[in-house]
Amino acid sequence: MVSSIGVRFILLVLLIAVPFASNSYTAYQLGLYLLYGIAGQGIVLCWGKGGFLPIGQALFFGIGAYISGMILKIGPGWGMVFVALVLAVVIPALIAGVVGALVFGRKIGSGLYFSLITLALSLLGYQLANSQVWLTGGFNGMTGIKGLPGIDSFGSLYFFIVGALIISTISLSYLIRMPFGQILEAVRENEERLQFLGVNTSRIKAIAFALSGGIAGLAGAFFAPHQGIVTPQVVGFILSAELVIWTAVGGRFGLVGPVLGAVLVGFLASGLREHFAFWEVVVALVFIIVVLRMPGGIVGLFELIAGKIGLNISGSLALQRFERVTEKPKSVHPKLEFDNVSLRVGPVIILDGLSFNISKAGIHCLIGPNGAGKTSALNVLTGKLSHNSGKIFWRNNRIEGVQPFRMSGLGIGRKLQVPSIFPNLTIRQNIDVAIWVNRLKFGHYLSKRPYYWHKTLLEKLQDAFPFLIDSDVLAGTLSVGQRQMLDFSMTVLAEPDLILLDEPCAGLSKSETETMISAISDLAKSSNATFIIVEHDMQVVELLSDNVLVMHQGKLLVQGSLNDIRGNPDVQRVYAGGTK
Amino acid sequence: MEVTATFILNLVYVSATLALVALGLAMVFGLLGVMNMAHGEFVMLGAYSVYVVQLAGQHFLWSIPLAILVCAAVGWLVEWSVIRHLYSRPFDTLLATWGVAILIRKGTEVIFTRDYKSVNQIMPGTVDIFGVSYPAYRLVLVALIILLFVLLYAWYQRSKAGLKIKAMVQGPELASAVGIDKAQLSRATFIIGVSSAGLAGVLLAPLVRVEPYIGLDYLMSSFFILVVGGLGTLEGLLIGSTVIGGTDALISTVFDKTAGYMSVLLISILFLWLRPDGIFYRR
Repeated sequence: MVSSIGVRFILLVLLIAVPFASNSYTAYQLGLYLLYGIAGQGIVLCWGKGGFLPIGQALFFGIGAYISGMILKIGPGWGMVFVALVLAVVIPALIAGVVGALVFGRKIGSGLYFSLITLALSLLGYQLANSQVWLTGGFNGMTGIKGLPGIDSFGSLYFFIVGALIISTISLSYLIRMPFGQILEAVRENEERLQFLGVNTSRIKAIAFALSGGIAGLAGAFFAPHQGIVTPQVVGFILSAELVIWTAVGGRFGLVGPVLGAVLVGFLASGLREHFAFWEVVVALVFIIVVLRMPGGIVGLFELIAGKIGLNISGSLALQRFERVTEKPKSVHPKLEFDNVSLRVGPVIILDGLSFNISKAGIHCLIGPNGAGKTSALNVLTGKLSHNSGKIFWRNNRIEGVQPFRMSGLGIGRKLQVPSIFPNLTIRQNIDVAIWVNRLKFGHYLSKRPYYWHKTLLEKLQDAFPFLIDSDVLAGTLSVGQRQMLDFSMTVLAEPDLILLDEPCAGLSKSETETMISAISDLAKSSNATFIIVEHDMQVVELLSDNVLVMHQGKLLVQGSLNDIRGNPDVQRVYAGGTK
Repeated sequence: MEVTATFILNLVYVSATLALVALGLAMVFGLLGVMNMAHGEFVMLGAYSVYVVQLAGQHFLWSIPLAILVCAAVGWLVEWSVIRHLYSRPFDTLLATWGVAILIRKGTEVIFTRDYKSVNQIMPGTVDIFGVSYPAYRLVLVALIILLFVLLYAWYQRSKAGLKIKAMVQGPELASAVGIDKAQLSRATFIIGVSSAGLAGVLLAPLVRVEPYIGLDYLMSSFFILVVGGLGTLEGLLIGSTVIGGTDALISTVFDKTAGYMSVLLISILFLWLRPDGIFYRR
């Protein structure tokens, strides 16, 4: 961590030294590439951290440039400069935020569609910039833009650009290290899991996209006085592509990468473009190779080398937990009712008028032969599948069709059948995210405080699953059994009143199963929570369950204690392979 | 009356050509999950094939085998060198194929320069239909495209290869387990997809400007069609083409080209918001 700041400091000193060490034209060119680098930092936020890729970023860069150009043309004075900067940041950010909210709003995994929409917007921007001559000057561009008052565009403006770079780097790296950044990375790692924990992931992504738009706008705001002209190319798809290429080649996981990429490729291009017709073909080839073979780009390569010689450049925030957060008081009475719920997928009837009622805290086991519709019942309940007919009541409110991320807020938590965690985050970070959700207030997203939060429940879980204490291990390196345990821990750390566990012991060894069962039953005793557990293993059912629901062919067959169930002739027939 | 007939004929023509252009992208994205950003560049290669055949003084029809040959060869190379390594990494395929698009575009620019090339009309003249005289080539084109879709549909539904593709898409593991060579089939699908783009380029060449940058427009309209029509059905593809082509034609006529493009983009964003899986979506 220290060395990361050290590296950045050395780079900064070098940047400030450039105008003194070389000619002013080099510094002028460098200034332009730094602006592109700033816009690339916004791409890092979205792509490197959030896992979604905007490929039309020039749109926001260009809008910022046009706005700033327009205002600087109106009048001189630092007041105007200030207005220009604010508008050039705010307007692109708003546009990006609205587009993000619309495109991300409904669907997980609309990532590729999002990328193409951003490209389409950039193309639209290009057409508008060309056709709305009264506003933009059209094809010939907006000319006669004055520089900042008293500042030589070919001289001291460079230092303002370095200043903008410093501001953008410091604020983004702060943002990335705070809870917002960690949750954004969790979105990249496993968006669905995060939704079941109760995070409105589309909003997080839209905000990140808005910020990236604002940063691109900031860079664009300096572009106008720097170049003195803004042409439609500045919003177009070629610059959009170049911004992504520079970011990828430089390194998309950190804030230095895009700046390095833009500067390096920029200078090479200005040297070679004139003499070498195939130059851009070469850039495209390098880009393809980076995508194929070195996802971390040049910075990633350096980090690899640094790691080989024993330097650790990256690091995450793992602060001592000392602030004990009060666990929320349990409202005991669960009241879950399925009323005649049906679900068809194509010609297959999955749920066929499923009705049942759970009104007592404790552990309820949902059993039934394969294909009975157990998991689908949970999927319909948590909004993962939309049902065809019927009603679902939770505490007397209908909840069918509610988006998955709202479930957690309603007090319903869910663990999927396949252990679902955030593989490239550490155990500590996985747990942090689970503790935070449902507890983060607006200000907490940008505050260090949530890192200090501790819970009694976490101590209990660490007693049951000691590996949770090794906080710096990447969750992706855990065994299947440990992943199940981590997943389970995350589910309960969000403190739901109704906990849905889909085969929590799947893939566990015998001793791990015992650990898991005792953890579940301890928790059930101490917390008043209600569990619905889908389970195949009758021994597990026997050990845990107060109440067993048997499903068969999409219907509830019978409900009662395990002994009642064992004696039931229908159940015997179903499990012996009959059709009832 | 005449205006209406012309408009309807134009709508049919625009929708049919768009459907042909989008077909390859729909195949490659719908079946392989690869968002091929170089899709439009293959259309462009097809159009340049016509130009080359014309330069060589040969008959127009020679450009069809030439385009398919060029696109299949380039497609094979791209699949072999880039895409097969990235099948489970959707963003990386998008980026890598974008790199490929730049490569093809710049390569073409180096060879043919950025100038517009004109391709001769091969079937000048008009035909009287529904009381209006309509360009003959467009009518032939529409008929050809309809024929192509019917053949394709029948092939996909009945042939063994179609069955294998369906198996691969719906259950990749099981498909390999029962002896379907997934790698080979994916490659074949990709090559057929880009070759169909090349074919579209040939057929459209006499009607459009031919230059290295035309690909992007075709990529975007194909993408919009997929958003509106949804993945996985020919009906969706046709409806998507009609909605996108119709909107674009109508708004562009009433206002201007930019307004047409803007309305198409807005429709697509609204679709992503309201019907993220498109009109025709089968679970």
